[in-house]
Amino acid sequence: MADGRKQEFAVVGKSVPRVDGPPKVTGTPIYTVDMERPGMLHAAILRSTVPHGRIRRVDKSRAEQAEGVVLVVTGEDLKTMPGIDPYFGPAFRDQAILAIDKVRYIGDPIAAVVATRRELAYEALDLIDVEYEELPPVLDPVEAARPGSPLVHEQLRPAKAFADLAEIEPGKATNVCYHFKLRRGDVEQGFAQSAHVFEDWYYSPPAQHMMMEPHAALAWVDSDGVLTVITGSQSPSYVKGSLGAIFGLPQNKVRVMVPLVGGAYGGKLYDKLEPLASLLTFMARRPVKIQLTREEVFITITKHGVVSHVRTGVSQDGKILARKVEVYWDTGAYADIAPRVVHKSGYTSAGAYRVPNIWIDSYCVYTNKPPAGAFRGFGVPQVVWALESQMDMIAEKLGRDPLQFRLENVLLEGDLFATGTPVHSAGLKESLEAVAREIKWEPGVRKAVKPGTKSGVARAKGVACGIKAVITPSISGAIVVMNNDASVNVLTSTVEMGQGSDTALSQIAAEELGVRLQDVRVMHPDTAVTPYDTITAGSRSTYHMGNAIRLAAQEVKRQLFETASDRLEVDPDQLVARDGRIFVAEAPTRGLPIPEVFQARFGARGATLQGQAVFKTYAAPMDHETGQSEKVTEYWFPGATAAEVEVDLETGKVRVVKLVEACDVGRAINPHHCEQQIIGSALISLGQTLFEQMILENGELLNPTLLDYKVLTLKDVPESAVPIVIEVPHKDGPFGAKGVGETGTLSVSAAIGNAVYRATGVRVKELPITPEKVLRGLRAGQ
Amino acid sequence: MGFDLLEPRTVAEAVELHARDGNAVFLAGGTALLILQRQGLPLPRRLISLRGIPGLDEITAGPGGGLRIGALATLRQVERHPLVVRRVPLLAEALRQVANVRVRHTATLGGNLAHGDYRLDPPAPLLVLGAQVRAVGIGGEREIALAAFFRGLFETALQPGEVVTELAIPPTPPSGGTYLKYALSSNDWPCVGAAALVALDDHGRCREVRLALTAVAAAPVLVRGLDELARGEPVSDRLAARLADIAAAQVEPVGDQRGSEWYKREMARVFARRALLAAARRAEAGPVGDGTKEPVA
Repeated sequence: MADGRKQEFAVVGKSVPRVDGPPKVTGTPIYTVDMERPGMLHAAILRSTVPHGRIRRVDKSRAEQAEGVVLVVTGEDLKTMPGIDPYFGPAFRDQAILAIDKVRYIGDPIAAVVATRRELAYEALDLIDVEYEELPPVLDPVEAARPGSPLVHEQLRPAKAFADLAEIEPGKATNVCYHFKLRRGDVEQGFAQSAHVFEDWYYSPPAQHMMMEPHAALAWVDSDGVLTVITGSQSPSYVKGSLGAIFGLPQNKVRVMVPLVGGAYGGKLYDKLEPLASLLTFMARRPVKIQLTREEVFITITKHGVVSHVRTGVSQDGKILARKVEVYWDTGAYADIAPRVVHKSGYTSAGAYRVPNIWIDSYCVYTNKPPAGAFRGFGVPQVVWALESQMDMIAEKLGRDPLQFRLENVLLEGDLFATGTPVHSAGLKESLEAVAREIKWEPGVRKAVKPGTKSGVARAKGVACGIKAVITPSISGAIVVMNNDASVNVLTSTVEMGQGSDTALSQIAAEELGVRLQDVRVMHPDTAVTPYDTITAGSRSTYHMGNAIRLAAQEVKRQLFETASDRLEVDPDQLVARDGRIFVAEAPTRGLPIPEVFQARFGARGATLQGQAVFKTYAAPMDHETGQSEKVTEYWFPGATAAEVEVDLETGKVRVVKLVEACDVGRAINPHHCEQQIIGSALISLGQTLFEQMILENGELLNPTLLDYKVLTLKDVPESAVPIVIEVPHKDGPFGAKGVGETGTLSVSAAIGNAVYRATGVRVKELPITPEKVLRGLRAGQ
Repeated sequence: MGFDLLEPRTVAEAVELHARDGNAVFLAGGTALLILQRQGLPLPRRLISLRGIPGLDEITAGPGGGLRIGALATLRQVERHPLVVRRVPLLAEALRQVANVRVRHTATLGGNLAHGDYRLDPPAPLLVLGAQVRAVGIGGEREIALAAFFRGLFETALQPGEVVTELAIPPTPPSGGTYLKYALSSNDWPCVGAAALVALDDHGRCREVRLALTAVAAAPVLVRGLDELARGEPVSDRLAARLADIAAAQVEPVGDQRGSEWYKREMARVFARRALLAAARRAEAGPVGDGTKEPVA
C-alpha cells in the first residue's frame, strides 16, 4: 500500500542506521554512571531489614566517626530541616527521601552516608544501629484490599502532578490507593443470556526491568546557586518540578540533565535518587553521587505482581456477551505511578474485542513489598495474560478455532471500545492475520502439530493479541535551531535510552526541513535549555515529540521561505525544501541553497533561525463511576503473537521454536528499528513467560541477583523470531506514525501459554510457565 | 571491604601463611568468593592468593593414559586442553556447559571442588572418572578420592588450612561418556546434572556403568550399586530405566528455585536414564579411553 507514498519521502520510512550506533559500539558515550565532578563525594543508603515497622531509634554516631565519612543523615533529621518538604511521588506524595517514623518494606531507605569513597560509604552503613518496633506485614494484595487489614499508609496526599491523575483521591483507612471502575451495559443480564460462563483466576509475578545501567544521580550546586542534577532519568521535566517543590526552589534554579541512558523500560521514571542526591549535596556543600548496586536496583522499582479474576459469558454462536474483570495490583510500599498503570490497563481489561456488557474493578493495593511502577507495556501484559488465556479456553469449549474466534470478535475501525471511544487506526485484525500467515496456522479446535514425530515431545502453535492505549493527555515541546550552513540542532527533553529516539526524531526533522539526516543533531535533555516533555515512556515520543518537531521545523521553514520568496520572486506557498535547497516546486532549478538564504536574511556568520512548538493531546473527561469517555486516548497500540512450542513430556520443559510478533505502528519512520523494537519487546516478555520472577517470602526478596533471577540470554532466543511491522496510518501522527516501544510485550505470554495447552492439555494460569508446573499438570492429567 | 592480599610463591608458603592466620581464606579464581561478598557475607580481612604460585595450573599426562590437572588451571584451560579433549572428552563436554566463557576463563577447577557447592557441574564428570584430589596442609600432603571428598552442603574433606593442589584422573577403560546438564534457562546452575560412563564388552554387554548426579542432594552423588544389575546385560531402555530408579533412590534433593524436592527427584531419574543411554550409544559408536587408539601427540 505504502510503496507509492513512501517515494514522496527522502528520509522518513527508510531503515537508516542508528545515529548513536557508531559511538555506542566504540564505547565513547559517557553515561551517568561514568560521570565525575571535582571534589565529588559518594553516598550509600542504609535500608530497612524489616517489612513493616516503626523506627524506634537510629544511632548514627559510630558511622559518623568512621574513616572517610563526611556526614550521615536520617529521616529524623529531615523532620527538622527548614524549607524542605521531604515527601515525593507522582500520584501520591507518599514516599519520604529517607523513611520518617515508619519503614514499609525490606529495602526502604532509612539513612544515607556520604563519604570520600564509595566503598567507605557502604562500609560505614554497618555502623548505624536501628531499632524497630515491628508491625504485622501486609503481604497479600487481595487480603490487603479487605477492610480491617493493617494499613501500610495511615494517610495519603495526592500529588496533583499530572492532568490524567487529577481525579485521584484516596479512600479513608484502606490500602487501596486507587480503584478504577468501568461499567458498560448490564453485565448481569449479559451473563443471564450467555450459553456458557467462564470464570478463572490468573497470576503474573513481580519482575525486574533489568536495565544494564543501574540507577545513578550526580548532584551539585553551581556557583550561582543552581541545583544541578545529572541523572539517568526518563522524566527530566518532572524531576525538575519535583526538586523545586521539595526544596522550595524556583524552577530556573533547578537544572536536570540526562545524558544517554543505559536502558530503562519504565524503571527510571519520576523521582528515584534525585531528591536524596540533592539533599546530600546541599548538606555536604560538595558534589554527591549515588549509584545503586544491582541488588539495590532489585528493590527500588518492580513490575507489578497481578492477581486477576476474569468472568466471561458467551453465546452458543461465539459472541462475547458479558465480561466482568477484577484485578488486584500489588503495588508495594509506595504508589509511584501505579494509579496510572491501574487506570490505563484498567480500561483495557475487557480486551481487544466487541463486548456489550462490561464491569471492571481494578484495585491498586499497598503492601509491605518493594514498590511497583511502570514497566514496558504498563500493566497491559499482565491483564492480557489472563484475558487471552481464557479466550482459548472459551474457543475450545465452543469447538472453535481460536484464531477464527478472535477474528470474529476483534475490534475493527470505528467499533466502540469498552470506554465508549470509537477505535481508530487499530490494526488488530491485520496483526492477527499476519502472525497466523507467518506461523502457518492450521485451523482446528485443538491441534498438536505432528504428534509423535519425535518421541516424548509434543509440539503445537498458539496465538493471542492485545491492545494498549497511549497516555492522554500529554505534552511535548521542541525547539528547532537551524544554523547558516543548514545544519540543525533539535532541542527536546526526549531521553535516548536505547529505543532509537535520536534517530527517529532526526529523520522527522530532516524530512520536514529537506536536509540530510547527518545534518540533524538531537540534543539531550537539559531542563535549563530544552522545553517541557511529559515523559519518555508509553511509546509516546515518536508521535508527540515527532509532531512537536515537525511543527517547530515548519516554523523554521516558514522563515526560510519568507526570505527565499523575496529573492526568487514567487509566493512562499510555491516553495519546497529538499536536498538542502529551497526551490520552486514547479521549477526545481529556480532555487537557493539554504546557506544563501541565510546570507540573504542575515549576512552574518553563525546566524541561526529558530522555530518552537508545543504539541498537546486531549482526552474527553472520563466518568468516574462508569469509565466512559468519548475520547479516552490519542491512539491505540494493537499487537498479536503466534508461537510454536515444543514440550518435553518427561520434564515439562517448554522450548519456543518460533515466535512471531506483529505490531501496528501507524507508519514506520524507520522500519528496521521498528522491527528491533517489536522483537526486543517480545523477547523481554518471553523471559518473563518462561522463567523470570521475583520470589518473595515474608516481604523478603529471595533472588536479588542475576545468579538466581534469570533473564533471557541470546541462547534462549528461539531459532526463529520474526517481527512484523503492520502499518495502519494514524490521521494525526507525524507522517502517520504512532509508537512501537511496548506493543510487542502484550500478548507473548498468552500465546505461549495457549501453545503449551494445545500441545499438552495443561493450562498454566500462573506465570512463569516453569517445567515443574507443566509436568505437574501432565501428571495430574494422566 | 578492604582486605590484605597475600601472594605466596610456593604452596608451602601459602600453607604456612594460613597457619599464622586461621581466618585467612585461600583465593583461586575468586568467582565464588565474589558472589558470597555480593550476597552480603563479609569477606575475610586476609586473602591468600594461590595465583602467583608457579606451575599450579599445569595439565600433564599421567601414567598409563591418565591426567594430572593443576588446581589453578581455569575451567577454560581444562576444557580446551588437547590432552583433556582426547583422553577424557566427557570432562571437556561438561566444562563447556559451565556458566559462560567469561566465568570459565577465571574460575579454577581446584577452587570449584573446594567450594563444595551442591549445584556445580564439574564434580559429576570428575566423580565418574574416579578423580583423586591432592591436598597439602601444614602436616603434609595427602590424596583423597573425590568420592570421599564431598561431605555435605559447602562441606568437603579438606581440613582447615589445607589447599587443593592437583587433581589426578586415572586411566579410563574404553567407554562412552556424557554429561547432561538440565537447566531452566541457558545461563543457570543445573536443576539436575548427570554424568555417565559406560564400558561395553565385545558383545555389547555392560562391563562397567558409572553415574554421578549433581544439584540433587547436599553434595554431588556418585551412584552406587549399578554394576551389580548392569554387568553382563545388554543395553536397553528397560535396563537404563531400572538403573535410573536406583539413582533416584539415592538422591536427597533439597528444593530450591530450580525445582522442588519432588521435581528434582523426578528429573534425577529422567536424566540418569538419558545420560546412561547416551553414554552407551557413544560406547557402541567408538569408545575412548585406555587401550583405544590415540593419535600420536
